[in-house]
Amino acid sequence: MEINSCVNIMNSEKESGSLGRIIKSVLEGHAPPPDFIPEWLLDDAARFSSIRGRFSRLTNLERLVTVLRHKNPDYVPCSPMVFGACRRLTGASYPDFALEPDATAKSLLAGFELIGGEAIVPMPDLSVEAADFGQKIIYPENSTPHPDYTDPLIKDVRDYGKIEKIDLRGAQRMQSTLKVNHILVNEIGFGGIVSGFCFGPLGVLSMMRGAERLFRDCIHHPSDVLAALDVITEVLIEYVEAQCDTGVSAVTLDTLFASWNGLGKKLWEKIEGEFTSKLANAIRRKGCIIVVHNCGDGIYFDSQIHFMEPGIINFAHLPDDCSSRKELKRRYGDQVVLMGYIDTSLLSYGTPYEVMQECRMQIEDLGEGGGFILAPGCEFPPNGPLENAVAIVKAAQLYGQTHGGKR
Amino acid sequence: MTESNALLKKLETAVSEHRDEVMADALDAALDAGAPSADVRHAIMQGLENVRHRLMSNDFSIPDFLICIDTATGGLDRLSSLRKDDRAGEEDISLVIGVVEGDPHDMGKNIIAAVYRTRGYHVFDLGREVSKDTFVRSVQETGAKVLALSAMMSTTMTGMRDIIQEVRVKSPDTVVIVGGAPMDEKLAASYGADGYAESAVNVLEETEAAVKKCSSEVLRNL
Repeated sequence: MEINSCVNIMNSEKESGSLGRIIKSVLEGHAPPPDFIPEWLLDDAARFSSIRGRFSRLTNLERLVTVLRHKNPDYVPCSPMVFGACRRLTGASYPDFALEPDATAKSLLAGFELIGGEAIVPMPDLSVEAADFGQKIIYPENSTPHPDYTDPLIKDVRDYGKIEKIDLRGAQRMQSTLKVNHILVNEIGFGGIVSGFCFGPLGVLSMMRGAERLFRDCIHHPSDVLAALDVITEVLIEYVEAQCDTGVSAVTLDTLFASWNGLGKKLWEKIEGEFTSKLANAIRRKGCIIVVHNCGDGIYFDSQIHFMEPGIINFAHLPDDCSSRKELKRRYGDQVVLMGYIDTSLLSYGTPYEVMQECRMQIEDLGEGGGFILAPGCEFPPNGPLENAVAIVKAAQLYGQTHGGKR
Repeated sequence: MTESNALLKKLETAVSEHRDEVMADALDAALDAGAPSADVRHAIMQGLENVRHRLMSNDFSIPDFLICIDTATGGLDRLSSLRKDDRAGEEDISLVIGVVEGDPHDMGKNIIAAVYRTRGYHVFDLGREVSKDTFVRSVQETGAKVLALSAMMSTTMTGMRDIIQEVRVKSPDTVVIVGGAPMDEKLAASYGADGYAESAVNVLEETEAAVKKCSSEVLRNL
C-alpha cells in the first residue's frame, strides 16, 4: 500500500514537482514544504515519534510534525513569538530592525538561540505591505513602526480606485522580509521551522485608510473597498508565493478584522473572505502550511476555516462560538492545530513564574492529544521582559510532557 | 401612547437602526409636538444604548455601531441647532479623553468619546499621541471630573502610569479610567487608575462605578 502510494506520487506531474521540491529542500539543508509530503508518511512519522518521545527527546522538527498530525510528542512545542523584542539582544534600533534585513535576521537568530522554541514566526510590524504601496510610515526609535495616519494614502473614497498593482521586485520592504526569511531558513536548517508572514488584504487597506474610515466604507461604499482589495490581493499572492520560495515551511496570514474587533461575521465574509481564500490557495499550492494569526476578541474560527482551511490558528482570545478552552479544544481541536494564547498583559507585567503557571493551565486544557503549540496570542511585547519569553519555553518543556513527568 | 411619545420612540429606533433621514424627521416632529429637549436627548441616548450592550458579540459589529454613532451625533447636533443653549438632560460631568503619546490608534478612543458625549458628558477630546503635559494641563484647565486614557500598543502604554501619577498630584479629585487592547484590570490598578473599561460595552458602567467609589472615599476622608 505504501509502495503504491510512492508510485502514485511519482506518476503525477504535480506531485513529481512536489517531490522535486522536497529533494531540493533537503539538499539545501532545510525542512521541505510540509504539505508536499504524503500524508501517510507524515502520519507514520508522527506515530513513530510519539512512541519514541516516551523514551527519548525528539528533535524540534519531530516534535512539530507530531503535534501537527495530532499526536502526543515528548512535550508540547512552543513559539515565544519574540520579534521586535529581539532587537534588544543585538542592540539594534527599532528603525534598523525594521528596515535592515541583516539586522532583523541577526536579532531573530539571537532570539532563537537564547530563548528557544521550535518555530520562528516573524511578525513584522503591520506596515510592511502598505509602505510598498506608498503609504508614509513613521519609524519611532523605541516603538513599532506605524502609518502616518495624518497623511493616509486613501484620503477619500475615490482614492480606492487609485490603488495600483506594484511590482514585487521593486517593493523594498517586502523584499527585505523575503531576505530575512531566506537567511532564517538557511541558518535554522533542520533545527526548527520558519514561517513567513503577510498582513491580510483588509489589514493592508486599513493601514492606508485608517480602520475607522475603512469600517464605515465597508458599509457605505463596499464596491470601492472590494475593488481596492482585488488589486492588493493580487500583489499579496505574489508576495506569499515568493515567501514560500525562500524555503519557509508556513506562511502566517494576519486576519485581524475577522473578529469582534473588526467586521461582523457576515460582513467579513462578504468583504475579505474570498480574498483570504485566494491567498491561502497560493500558499497551499506551494506546499506550505497556512497559519492564521488573529489577536482579536471573539475571532471567527468557523468562517476562517471555511475560507482558508488553515493548518494552524494562532489566537489571543476565545472564538465567538466558544465559552471555554475545553469547548474550543472539543469543537475545533480536530480541525486545526491551536496555537496560543498567552496574554500580552501578563507577558508585559507578570512575573516569569506567573507566566509559567498560566502556560501550565493552557497546556492542561489544550495540549492533550497533540494539536497544540504554546505561544503568545500576539507578538511578544517588544519592550517586555525577555525572561517571560524564556518562561514560555521552560513551561512547555516542564509542564508539556504528555507521557507522564510533571504532568 | 401620546403623539410625542410615539415620535420619541421612533427617534430612538432610528438611531438604533442608523437611519439618518428617519431620525431627522422624527426629531423635528417630536419637538413640534412639544417634546422637551431633555426627552429628545434621552431618546437619542437610548437609541445608542440599545445597541451598545450588543457590541463584542455576534449581534452587532463595530462598523454598525460607528454608523449608529454618526446618526446619534447628527441628532444631537440637530437638537443643539434647533434648541440653542438648552442643555437639559445633559450630565454635569466634564471629561478629558485621549490616546497616550506615541500611539496613533484612535478608533477605540473615538468610539468611547462618542459614547460619553451621547450620554451627556462634556467631553474634551485631545485626540491621539497626546503628551503627559497636555493631559495634565487640560485636566486642570477644564476642571475635569474624569480623565479617560487609551493605549493600543504595549510599547507606549507605560506612559499612562506617568500621566496618572502627575494628575494625582495636580488634580487629586479627578477620577482616572483606562482602556485599550494590551490592558487589563490588574495592570490598570498597578498604574494607579481608578477604573478599567474593556470596551464601549461597559465603559459607562465602569466610569460611573469609579466616580461613585471615589466620591465615597472623599466623603469618608472628610
